[in-house]
Amino acid sequence: MLDLRVPTGFFFAIVGLILLAMGVFAPSERAALTDSNVNLYCGLFMLAFGLIMLGLSRLSKHEDS
Amino acid sequence: MKLAVVDYLILAIYFGFVLGIGWRLKSKISTSGDFLTSGRSVPVWITSLAFLSANLGAQELVGMSGQGAKYGIMTAHFYWVGAVPAMIFVGLFMMPFYWASRARSVPEYLKLRFDEKTRALNALAFAVMTVFSSGISMYALGLLLNLILGWSFTTSVLCSAAIVLAYTFLGGLTSAIYNEVLQFFLIVMGFSPLAIMAVMKAGGWSGMAARLSKMTLPGGLNGDVMTHSWKYIGHTYQNPMGIEIFGLVAGLGFVMSFGYWCTNFLVIQRAMAANSASAARRTPVIAALPKMLLPFIIIVPGIAALALSQMALGYVLPMKGVAGAMTPDYDQVLTTLMAKFYPAGMLGIGLTGLMASFMSGMAGNVTAFNTVFTYDIYQAYIRPGKADRHYLTVARVTTVVGVALSIACAYVAQGYNSLMDLLQLVFSFVNAPLFGTFLLGMFWKRSTGHGAFWGLLSGTVSAGLAHGCTMAEGKGGWIMTLHTFPSTMAQNFWISIVAFTACTLVTILVSLATKPKPEAELTGLVYGFTELKHDEGVAWYKRPVPLAIAIGALALFLNFWFA
Repeated sequence: MLDLRVPTGFFFAIVGLILLAMGVFAPSERAALTDSNVNLYCGLFMLAFGLIMLGLSRLSKHEDS
Repeated sequence: MKLAVVDYLILAIYFGFVLGIGWRLKSKISTSGDFLTSGRSVPVWITSLAFLSANLGAQELVGMSGQGAKYGIMTAHFYWVGAVPAMIFVGLFMMPFYWASRARSVPEYLKLRFDEKTRALNALAFAVMTVFSSGISMYALGLLLNLILGWSFTTSVLCSAAIVLAYTFLGGLTSAIYNEVLQFFLIVMGFSPLAIMAVMKAGGWSGMAARLSKMTLPGGLNGDVMTHSWKYIGHTYQNPMGIEIFGLVAGLGFVMSFGYWCTNFLVIQRAMAANSASAARRTPVIAALPKMLLPFIIIVPGIAALALSQMALGYVLPMKGVAGAMTPDYDQVLTTLMAKFYPAGMLGIGLTGLMASFMSGMAGNVTAFNTVFTYDIYQAYIRPGKADRHYLTVARVTTVVGVALSIACAYVAQGYNSLMDLLQLVFSFVNAPLFGTFLLGMFWKRSTGHGAFWGLLSGTVSAGLAHGCTMAEGKGGWIMTLHTFPSTMAQNFWISIVAFTACTLVTILVSLATKPKPEAELTGLVYGFTELKHDEGVAWYKRPVPLAIAIGALALFLNFWFA
């Protein structure tokens, strides 16, 4: 059975990287009601989540073998 | 709302992953069981999140945040009084019988426990209901995309239907379940930043409460009601929902939510896909944990939106109607908040989450529909006794037909809006009496097939009669008006109480007058005739009962904290 953590991890890592890049290279992208760099923080969080998912899946693969 | 290239890129990546998952799972499907029931092989964390997510359609996202702005934290009753106790109950007390019976669907359980006609009644009602629900979901998506992005209704409906069809056709239930989990993460990560930012901007929870208590709501009530879930529940005129404590606890907390979570095959199907009896029991219980936290990312932003609209920040509640008679358009609260707080990039995530939830709502209905049709209608009545290969083909064809019927329903909904209102109402009555049937079936060995059938029928009919004899907000009363409810919500709660009571009484009376099923045939179906496995020696968090106690205590705490 396909380990769902792999596609989930890749998806959030990729999307996190895109947001992170937006946050770094287009920091002036701001919405009307907030001063914070939303893309940067959310991108970092999603990247971290994605990497944790990928890490967990590798870990359990090691345990199985 | 204007989308940038990066937003479309994120949307495209998501669709790519959704289809990729379906493609990767394609090779794992060789029997109808693999396609329709996932071969009972899915890990428990996945079934739990799918159990939750299949119910978390976009109508819920959009609707509940709107209700947050309209009714305040009382909306959380749908979670903390409604869903959570029901989810714990179905996990602890009903999953053992669903699992032990080896039934592949809820109607099939009814056949094993009662008889053929009870199953046929339930299977037909359910099949029609799922097609309409997925059509309504599609219609809502088309409407929303048209409104906020200017996409045409037909493009939105056809594109989303094509994607849903592709991944359910390829990977069946497993594919739908996997994508529901992906969607769950996307919703949490896409909407919690919005909740955090909106609440912070409005001065935190206490700042919101202080600001709201100084305002007068559209109905003339004081805004203090928005931040208290139990304080104003003594009488119907005290709160904007127009409900009181008995209707709430008995109608919503007992009949409606237990009816939904315990008998709706759409969610039960997810738990049944789990890889062991214990995992199937834990599925709804574990799902109750994120379920009770959802109000913080769905309802609270709606309350914050109302507070923000009082703050001269340039945020106003979206309105609809003609000049002079404008009313707040609560369904747009969530999207207008997104536009105010998310820059290009994060906006794409929020929108993708919204579309994902629409599609998983559709996919959930389609996968439940094809299972019930294939096993409970086709295999039972049209062509029994064929090779499994044949039923796999039928299941695949049914998936295509189900999506096509849903598209047709979406267009019907577009043309005849009030008809859809009525149908949705009718469906809300299908589950209420059904819970009575299951309760008696699982815990009273004396209940019979005739009892169940006539009970179910009279429960549904009495729901219709109750609707015909009462009025609320101009709805109902098509026979005569005996009573007027302050809100349709109160009306729905009471109608379900009536339906449940009628079903239970008739089932008991007819059962006592008819011949009971021999006890030998009740093994694995009824309490007392089913071996319940106790998993001693397993860590507490892997056992259903301690988990349920911990999660139940947390739900109780939330009720007190926000009382």
